[in-house]
Amino acid sequence: MNARVALAASAVVAGTIAVHAQNVSFSAKVEAVRVDVLVTDKGQPVRGLGPADFEILDNGVPQQVDLVSFEQIPLNVILALDMSKSVAGERLDHLRTAGHALMDGLTKGDQAALVVFRDAVTLGTDLTPDAGVVRVALDNEEPDGDTALVDGSYAAMVLGESDVGRALLIVFSDGLDTSSWLHPDAVLENAKRSDVVAYAVSIGRVKSEFLRDLTSFTGGRLFEIERTANLSSIFLSVLEEFRQRYLVSYTPCGVAKDGWHRLTVRVKRGGTVKARPGYLAGS
Amino acid sequence: MLVLIVSAAGMAEQPASRIDRVEQWLMAILHHEPGQSDEAVETVASWSTHEMGTLWIDVRNLLLLMRNPGIARFDVRHPGQGVTQPIRYTPVELRRLHALACAAAGIVTRRECLAVNAQTELGPELLRLARLATDARLRGDDNYVLRRGALLHTDVGMLTDGATATEPVGGGTSLAPQRIRMRISDGRETDLGQTAVHWETARLLLDHVTPRRSEAEAGAARPAPALDDMVRQWYRATAAWMQWKEDHETVHLDHAREIFPNDPHILFLSGCLHETYSGSRIQSAARSAVLPTGVTLDVGSDRAELRKAEGFFRRAVEVKPDFSEAHLHLGRVLTRLGRHADAVNELTRALAFVEEDELLRFFGELFLGAAQEGVGQLDAAAASYTRAAELQPGAQSPRIALSALARRRRDRAGALRDIRRVFELSSSGSREDDPWWVYHVTQARNADELFDDLIRPFLSASEPERP
Repeated sequence: MNARVALAASAVVAGTIAVHAQNVSFSAKVEAVRVDVLVTDKGQPVRGLGPADFEILDNGVPQQVDLVSFEQIPLNVILALDMSKSVAGERLDHLRTAGHALMDGLTKGDQAALVVFRDAVTLGTDLTPDAGVVRVALDNEEPDGDTALVDGSYAAMVLGESDVGRALLIVFSDGLDTSSWLHPDAVLENAKRSDVVAYAVSIGRVKSEFLRDLTSFTGGRLFEIERTANLSSIFLSVLEEFRQRYLVSYTPCGVAKDGWHRLTVRVKRGGTVKARPGYLAGS
Repeated sequence: MLVLIVSAAGMAEQPASRIDRVEQWLMAILHHEPGQSDEAVETVASWSTHEMGTLWIDVRNLLLLMRNPGIARFDVRHPGQGVTQPIRYTPVELRRLHALACAAAGIVTRRECLAVNAQTELGPELLRLARLATDARLRGDDNYVLRRGALLHTDVGMLTDGATATEPVGGGTSLAPQRIRMRISDGRETDLGQTAVHWETARLLLDHVTPRRSEAEAGAARPAPALDDMVRQWYRATAAWMQWKEDHETVHLDHAREIFPNDPHILFLSGCLHETYSGSRIQSAARSAVLPTGVTLDVGSDRAELRKAEGFFRRAVEVKPDFSEAHLHLGRVLTRLGRHADAVNELTRALAFVEEDELLRFFGELFLGAAQEGVGQLDAAAASYTRAAELQPGAQSPRIALSALARRRRDRAGALRDIRRVFELSSSGSREDDPWWVYHVTQARNADELFDDLIRPFLSASEPERP
């Protein structure tokens, strides 16, 4: 039951949307907002929370939580991977291994897609429930060219919005953007409107402000690492963490329709809450 | 252009003294065919950073002697300081340097040269060089060695690009200019080191070019490179080549503008250089670079570089109002500075000039779309991006722009549709598919042509015409 309800709730923020999932097909006109929320206590995920346990403030105005779902919703995992020439060698080996490990971690109903970026943004494979297809696509990619990190992240985000389900975007890059057309701010504005939750792994001395903001605005997390030897465990921890998140939805009430909505999410019984800081609505 | 791999076999025997190297250098000038990777290029390319630094000082002194064979004191100013330091030669070295200067200037029969027995001091090859220099003088050009020497070092700089190893920063001769080079790949520093001062030597030589004169005008004229077409052409061609090869050097164009402050092409290339510096490729590398103490990168923040670029582009279009490509770059820079309304005007002007040039029209439409987005003209922006996409059907950038524009308008289906088109376009993976990916070098796409035009008058008659 939860899966179906969540799918309906996932068709939020944008007017009338036809929803097709598994054997269910219906349309809904909703203006609900959904928020992916991670609740932990002493580092451990807190389970068993219901709508009454959450307190959501939209621009400071308390909201009625409609639905809370947990775990049962299939994931759409979009891998957006840097395949610029600096990834060649050991990093590529580690990246492939980590990608394979991530595919091993998917469960029934989950889908995955692969987007790679060099100068060009390329679709390795579209969303598919067949993890083997993604593995093959990943193994076929070879590093070359510059780094269109911003364009690649944007394309992956749009792809993540293309299907129902919870979209998890995992961006991997070993450098800063060197060739994108899009300005980072334009993509971050889009991220504020998106339901996709972005996690990112950034390697190197220089920190990527874009990835920091992208993960922050979407309620994800940025891993800044020096070496790629433990990349598999990072990818798996991202998947594990994402599965522990609640999908909380509410219908905004008493707040302006357009503009930036600052979100505050609390759990009444206590615990550490991680969620997106807000969302952008309207034009 | 040719590419040279410097081999150990091509390296010259080490000269016994610094003056012997000056003689070797003159011989290399004599034997070098411009544009060719010949033995002369290999010899000069094999000289270390330190050796080239010493040669730079000796060439500078040779140039003084060529104009005034009577001088005997040489002071060199420390780079960037007011302090000078005398360069002392032994009497034997000084006498030899005098004789070499007489040959280089083609004045071996002058009184001052006869006083050092130049004709008997010099071997047959150097006397041949002297005759060629004299012949040039008789045709009104006193700059035979200067021009050909500059072309030799240009070829070393160009033909050995990427093949010459860098040396650790800090070595070299402190009185000579230092050339520190940072190699960048995929937005990150891959190597930092000192390289030999070939471009600096070429500039030094051309700084001493004197105006062509008639036979009636006696005596050596004062150097006036600003009056010389070859020098102007050299700066245009070499600056374009550097940008085409992404071998960026601020000093080169700074010096060019000192000589030719109102040349629209030099101003344009100066703007392009700083526009490139403002881009993510260079900014990323500048931010991640680990520099030794005392070494700074001549790259400002992205906005500072954009403002510099704007200034040069504005001057270029003031001098040459129909300079479409300068208008185009100016419009792009204005967009990046957030001055979208000005950018729309500038890009509209650029598009009116470019007409048949599809590449520039593509950039014009793409950039105009971005500027129109900036002023909220979303329908106009979509139309501009669509025209750009039609001009370059293989390009991802206008499709990505259209997708983001649709997403901005909350049209998720449209955004997805255009992103799927982007994915369809990426099958070939060639950098030529999307001019945006090479925008930072396209201003220099005529570099080979400029260089061919530059060297054509200097090619030997026996050589076939360059294509």
